[in-house]
Amino acid sequence: MTGFAWKMLRHRKAAFAGAFVALLCAAALVCACLMLLETGLRGTVAPERYAGAPAIVAADQYVRETVDKGKGKTKTKAKPLSERAWLPISVVTALRGTPGVQRVITEVTFPFGGFTGHGWESAGLTPFTIATGRAPRAAGEVVVDARAGLHVGTELRGHRVVGVTAQALPSQDTVFFSTAEARRLAGHPGMVSATGVFPALSRAPQGAVLYTGDERGRLEFLDAEQARVSLISMGGALAGTSLLVGVLVVVGTFALSIQQRRRELALLRAVAATPKQIRKLVGGEALLAGSVAGVLGAAAGIGLGFWLHGTFVSLGAVPANLRLVVSPFPALAALLATVSAAWVAARMSARRLSRVRPVEALGEAALDDGRLPLVRLLAGLALTAGAVVLTVVLSNLSTEAAATPVTMLTALVWTIAATLLGPLAARVVPLPLRVAGVTGFLAARHLRAAPKGLASVLSPLTLMVAMTCTILFVQTTMGDAAQEQAEAGTRAGYVLPGAPAAAVAKVPGVEAVTQVVRTTVRVGLDKYTAQAVTYDPRTLDLGVVSGAVELDAAAVSQTAATRLGLTVGDPLRLTLGDGTRTTLKISAVYTRGLGFGDLTLPHALVSGHVDDPTGTLLVSAPTLTRDALARAVPGATVLDRAQAAAVAVANPQVTYVALGLIIAFTGIAVVNTLAMATSGRTKELAVLRLAGTTRRQILRMLRLEALCAILTAAVAGTAIALVTLSAFATGMTGSPAPYLHLGTYVLVLAAAAALALTATALPARLALRTRPADAVTSA
Amino acid sequence: MTDVVRLEAVSKVYGKGQGAVAALREVSVGIPRGSFTAVMGPSGSGKSTFLHCAAGLDVPSSGSVRLGDTELSRLGETQLTELRRHRVGFVFQAFNLVPALNVTENVTLPLRLAGERVDRAWLGEILARVGLEDRAGHRPAELSGGQQQRVALARALVTRPEVVFGDEPTGALDTMTARQVLRLLREVVTAMGQTVVMVTHDPLAASYAETVLFLADGQIVDTMSGPTPEKVAERMTGLGAWK
Repeated sequence: MTGFAWKMLRHRKAAFAGAFVALLCAAALVCACLMLLETGLRGTVAPERYAGAPAIVAADQYVRETVDKGKGKTKTKAKPLSERAWLPISVVTALRGTPGVQRVITEVTFPFGGFTGHGWESAGLTPFTIATGRAPRAAGEVVVDARAGLHVGTELRGHRVVGVTAQALPSQDTVFFSTAEARRLAGHPGMVSATGVFPALSRAPQGAVLYTGDERGRLEFLDAEQARVSLISMGGALAGTSLLVGVLVVVGTFALSIQQRRRELALLRAVAATPKQIRKLVGGEALLAGSVAGVLGAAAGIGLGFWLHGTFVSLGAVPANLRLVVSPFPALAALLATVSAAWVAARMSARRLSRVRPVEALGEAALDDGRLPLVRLLAGLALTAGAVVLTVVLSNLSTEAAATPVTMLTALVWTIAATLLGPLAARVVPLPLRVAGVTGFLAARHLRAAPKGLASVLSPLTLMVAMTCTILFVQTTMGDAAQEQAEAGTRAGYVLPGAPAAAVAKVPGVEAVTQVVRTTVRVGLDKYTAQAVTYDPRTLDLGVVSGAVELDAAAVSQTAATRLGLTVGDPLRLTLGDGTRTTLKISAVYTRGLGFGDLTLPHALVSGHVDDPTGTLLVSAPTLTRDALARAVPGATVLDRAQAAAVAVANPQVTYVALGLIIAFTGIAVVNTLAMATSGRTKELAVLRLAGTTRRQILRMLRLEALCAILTAAVAGTAIALVTLSAFATGMTGSPAPYLHLGTYVLVLAAAAALALTATALPARLALRTRPADAVTSA
Repeated sequence: MTDVVRLEAVSKVYGKGQGAVAALREVSVGIPRGSFTAVMGPSGSGKSTFLHCAAGLDVPSSGSVRLGDTELSRLGETQLTELRRHRVGFVFQAFNLVPALNVTENVTLPLRLAGERVDRAWLGEILARVGLEDRAGHRPAELSGGQQQRVALARALVTRPEVVFGDEPTGALDTMTARQVLRLLREVVTAMGQTVVMVTHDPLAASYAETVLFLADGQIVDTMSGPTPEKVAERMTGLGAWK
């Protein structure tokens, strides 16, 4: 059968082109996403600063909780911390006394402008050596690395350069202070960030973790570690979504190509092929198409993976030193996935095949009665039920990490359900065409006569509209709600990122100054965004609904309060960014959680537990102009309220890049399916022309049909997107109203229409080029 | 002579209840071995349905169809397929061939589907008989309409079937080419002892047969032996085919 399948495949290239392109795109996307996933799982970052130390001892960078799994079983789960956890100096003291340890080098680390600051004590970890000048000794002295381009005697942010090292690190700019000054600037009294142990250590001391080999790189670059974790979830979600979209598209194109080859397959049935042999033949064709497309697609996917990684690096979502892991696994998995997708598609079309009757080869019109087969109806209803369940689940998810993949899945399952039940809808659609004259009559007749033909085109169009709207408006729903809340809740007239609070407070005319530091904390294992503030009602309005904000207590958003089941007066046990556990009383519950973070904590408590305590100042100075304030605080950037709110919103570009690929994929599927459907009608169009329909009338008829499909897809896709977004908004913002940008929405529909019309018109013009008489007689 | 195909009180009703249409009503007929039978009738007389039921392509609503000793109405779809594969050959009006396959591959298709070895000598003999021995490697698109029908006939003969059914086998051909194909069909009957049943509406085509069955309103209304085009045309006019 395989040889036979190959011959059919080679001869009917056009019929398979659609499925082939869809499979190829799916393979490429899955391969690229799996490369990101693998990088997340196995990616390593080579140590730079710690390269010269065989073993590093540091604090555990994870929060660990023992979860009761029921039936007496427990499991310890670990989640990465958002800030660096520091090591108590007592551990170092114990290390010094450990037998076998000859030397211990301690290190502190802190941001210093664009540099990473350390004490000269830790130079031996790399090791750094002085090329010119000498080591720093006094408080105002620094040593810079070889790349800084500074000479001995010059100034760096108010410090005098006394030496330059012989070395520089590839992905960080280093500046050394005297050991005492560095400890003061680092702001973690009695703690160090890491300790190098020479010559080696066999076991981690109590309360600390031992890092050797490439593990040292993970400790050194905690941002890479976080990027790695987000690559795992993003890569997995994207690969899954691409695969599902791929299966849906491939099933559609396969069904269409089988519908178009119905007569040929009926001939085989008449000539003595059993239904099983036909299924085997189509299965063989699918496996062949899947393998070839899979190999080519996986090859293209490797390129796509590099491109995605490069784009993420340039967007700042992935640090450059977390290199892409290249191995054969993603390509092989993509190939396997593609072949399986093709096989699934063939299996699903096979049901249709068993109904091909041999008599059809004798010229009997293939009856398309538009009735829904029971299996399809049941599957459609089951998936509708699944979609409802997913929608309910989604409306209860209040973290972005959980909600994003579920959102995609919900939109997809709704689309598949709509596709399965589509022929039901297709019978109702063409009614308004009656008013459009003879071409409208023809279009309406065709759509009514072959509802499955319309359904096969509707499926990718609906998918495109639904996915695009969902992806775009999930971002605006989050972004707009956050921005609106931030704007409404910021009472301060000016926002000064990175300015010193004490200096600004002294400026005449300044009424109130609030320091804001953003961080992420965990309650149990769940992540919450938090702001640490020196609260002042003149600068900040959180929209308190119960209680009152107290300076030494926590305030929580309504969403968080509901999720945690806590209210005013309850104690809140939380783990700060660096792993420090603390308990605070809840003094207030507020509404503007998206704009300001789920938790509002005392600034004094948190600022010592973040990597970068610089933060932002909210300044209320109603009598001062922006320029006057800028003059009074030299070197500071002064933003007004609106600018500040715009800056505060997270950058969704990463999401757009990744999900844009899936949108592009659905776009390709639309072009694919429409082109296939149109070119499969060459004969029918020829008959119409022989009956006196002009070329112009035929094109008009096809345009009307395409517009009809777009209209239906727009209604269905928008409905799916609205249901999904509504559920998403309910979970994330507490209100079921999503934020839609009308302009963007119109643009999406216009793009879909343009794509669909072009994909119909081009093959139609090609089909009209052959003489109608020839087209009618050719098989 | 024994009958190869035997229809007993065969009825075929399409649809149900009020809208039911009877395409065949209680048709009983036997097709003798080694005969060349034409089935004629006006449009809608049920001649296509007759052929489908006789050939096991369709199942009658009631009555019995026997091919040799086999009762067709009791067979399942796969059994019917296997029966068609070995014991029945087909030539349709058009679209007989798989465009992806060349002449030899098309002719041997039933054998390949059955997973059987191809008898090279027999294949050569058949191709020679239909006059296509030098076209064995060509694709259907490279052949004329008459040549395509001859390939279809070769395919119908390759399994040494008990009976070959033709559904307007010359319907899409011009008169000259049609005559060649009809002469070939007749030769197959006389020289090889093959049984052929052919549905047609063309009196000229029917005149190549030994016996003509006339169908009207789903019933056999007349039988004619030793037909000529004139006699057949006259009878058809009597049936109201050409008013």
